[in-house]
Amino acid sequence: MNAMGLIFTNDASLGELTNKRTMASLPFGGRYRQVDFALSNLSCAGIKHIGIISRHSYQSLMNHVGDGEEWGLELEEGGLEFLTPFAHSTVGTYRGKLESIANAMDFLEYGDEEDYVVMIDSAVLCNIDLNKVIEAHIASGKDVTVVAKKLPCNGEKKVDLGLAVENGEITEMVVDYDADGKYIPSMDIFVVGKKWLIQSVKALAARDKFHMDRDLVMGGWRKGLVTVNVYEHEGAALFNESVEEYFNNSLSLIDKDVRADLFGANHPIYTKVRDRVPTYYGVNSEVEDCLVADGCMLDGEVENSILFRQVTVEKDAEVEDCIIMNDTVIGEGAKLKYAILDKNVTVSAGAKLYGTKKSPVYIKRGETV
Amino acid sequence: MYFQKKRVIAMLLAGGQGSRLYVLTRKTAKPAVPFGGKYRIIDFPLSNCVNSGIDTVGILTQYQPLELNEYIGNGQPWGLNKTHSCAQVLPPYERNDKKSGWYEGTANAIYKNIDFVDRFDPDYVVVLSGDHIYKMDYNAMVEYHIANNAACTIAVRNVPLAEASRFGILNTNPDNSIYEFEEKPKQPKSTNASMGIYCFSWKVLRDALIADEADPNSSKDFGKNIIPNLLADGHKMMAYNFDGYWKDVGTIASLWEANMELLGKEPEFQLRGGKRETIYARNDAHPAAYIDDDAKIIDALVAEGSEVYGTVKHSVISVGCTIGEGALVEDSVVMPDVVIEANAIVRHAILGEGSKVGKGAVVGGAFAEGDEKKISVVAKDAVVEANTVLLPGEML
Repeated sequence: MNAMGLIFTNDASLGELTNKRTMASLPFGGRYRQVDFALSNLSCAGIKHIGIISRHSYQSLMNHVGDGEEWGLELEEGGLEFLTPFAHSTVGTYRGKLESIANAMDFLEYGDEEDYVVMIDSAVLCNIDLNKVIEAHIASGKDVTVVAKKLPCNGEKKVDLGLAVENGEITEMVVDYDADGKYIPSMDIFVVGKKWLIQSVKALAARDKFHMDRDLVMGGWRKGLVTVNVYEHEGAALFNESVEEYFNNSLSLIDKDVRADLFGANHPIYTKVRDRVPTYYGVNSEVEDCLVADGCMLDGEVENSILFRQVTVEKDAEVEDCIIMNDTVIGEGAKLKYAILDKNVTVSAGAKLYGTKKSPVYIKRGETV
Repeated sequence: MYFQKKRVIAMLLAGGQGSRLYVLTRKTAKPAVPFGGKYRIIDFPLSNCVNSGIDTVGILTQYQPLELNEYIGNGQPWGLNKTHSCAQVLPPYERNDKKSGWYEGTANAIYKNIDFVDRFDPDYVVVLSGDHIYKMDYNAMVEYHIANNAACTIAVRNVPLAEASRFGILNTNPDNSIYEFEEKPKQPKSTNASMGIYCFSWKVLRDALIADEADPNSSKDFGKNIIPNLLADGHKMMAYNFDGYWKDVGTIASLWEANMELLGKEPEFQLRGGKRETIYARNDAHPAAYIDDDAKIIDALVAEGSEVYGTVKHSVISVGCTIGEGALVEDSVVMPDVVIEANAIVRHAILGEGSKVGKGAVVGGAFAEGDEKKISVVAKDAVVEANTVLLPGEML
């Protein structure tokens, strides 16, 4: 029951937050990058042969993942491989997941140890036992297993792939659709047979079809060519597919149950180690309802916020409902509400920044406010 | 097998029991005792090595080595697992000559590992101990050793005259060369205390170790035998002054104090530091710390993986701890994975790794002005039952 993994890193964007980084390397939860969840899910299921497919802006991702040592993936055989586009005359950058897989055929076809492929995106975060998914896939006898999460859909959330399910059987599928309660969204985790995937990708590529959800899964299923199994994930699944979702999902970690589910359900979530000292809370600090990474110096008021590593909050500063990334400094008496501050931002003493819950203020990496 | 020649290697003496830490070292070697929220004592000399450009470290273990060996592993957290670097744990071993058997003293421990050192053909060997908290550039000491053409250089620090009789005291000439060594003198002639950090030219040390081993009356110890013998043989020995923070954390009181000295906006000992001042440690996969609505944290260090619901004042809270609702922790050192349940009160205490303080229990108390500091200690994995009391200075 050996499986290999494919991680997609660019198939969504969050505006300026992903201007210079992939979705996979987007910081999340105080000390993680989104890809840590996919890597930990794969590695903890014993899947050690993993391709990371990137289209562009993958510098920070490569820097973060390195040789995969932190996830136990620094192996002689198998291990981790970056699959970046070869810019040659016939291939530009990828138009869709199928095209990127077509370009990674050498990686897929190498060796015959693995029978299955787990494909996983970096925009949906969860802590899942992938061995159970693979077992369910095998038991189903279907071509594709889609992991999906029952969310309260009210027609406002655009889903990549939505499935209507009755008695465990799929009755309808939609792609890029403002789903209502009838549909449960795919978590962009798929299990397929390796041989089947290779054949399907080659066949579709020959007809210039490159969209996985639309062409392979929905298209194939509607034509009766592809059988599809649904695996409903019970635990938390955080869809970070818009800035608003990213913001709300980040703050949802303050909820004990979400945290327990995401970080403790099946296995730990590993990330790149940064040797930072424990956070120091000064005599004036008032920190409430926060997630705080190591290395911070806190002497102001912080409420309902996520503080990444090495953040400084000076005296009399007030921070509420914010996401503050690494190495950012918030000066004395500054006031912030509903803001996302990227890495290395400096908020001058006394500055004020107010966003709204629907559209938080975003300050770019390295800026001074 | 190919071994790259090294200019300098380090030998770290980590076999001591640390009996004055009582229950804290019942099942743990002193160098593996947690410190500063996410570190262990051995992280300091090991990180100093790495930051000084020393990439080959032999670690001599003997007492309760399980945790220590596990912690050091392949040396990866300190970057000592590369092609030409290593953190090699060296336990005592059996062989068919007199190098067989337990380490009988600090010098004997190195003597029994002459073969290990020889593999790297080093010019200099730095000998360190695993029970001090400090940041030091050993390379600067090696350079000083070379510049002075010394056979042995000993790091020294100035101690108050009143305390000098607790240390090995080095009496020096104006050029800092040593003319006399006195182990714990009743009437110290100087206040230059040995820090137990030595730099030797390997050829000189190698010969001295072999000669000392042949002496049936020797206690096979650096301070008692090797250093006085080298001096008596007329070797050039230098004192290397170090005036940074340095703390022997071999007692309950000093371990507690050293932790307290990490607190404050400008602490006496700064854990933080730039690239060559980072202290590296083995990191577990913990999420960021959670600080609850009702939590209150003042003048304290709290590490990742902890959940704080109660009040923490002037304390060090290590990774993976839970401080329950209504609980109060003050002037205390809380080691990793400790659970303090609701409404418990912990004052002037050291809580060992994985220990638990039950609901409403009271551990320790405030010091009265001028009193002897009575620190309560809870051993690793011990449990203070709910609604019970552990008096100031008591150990469980």
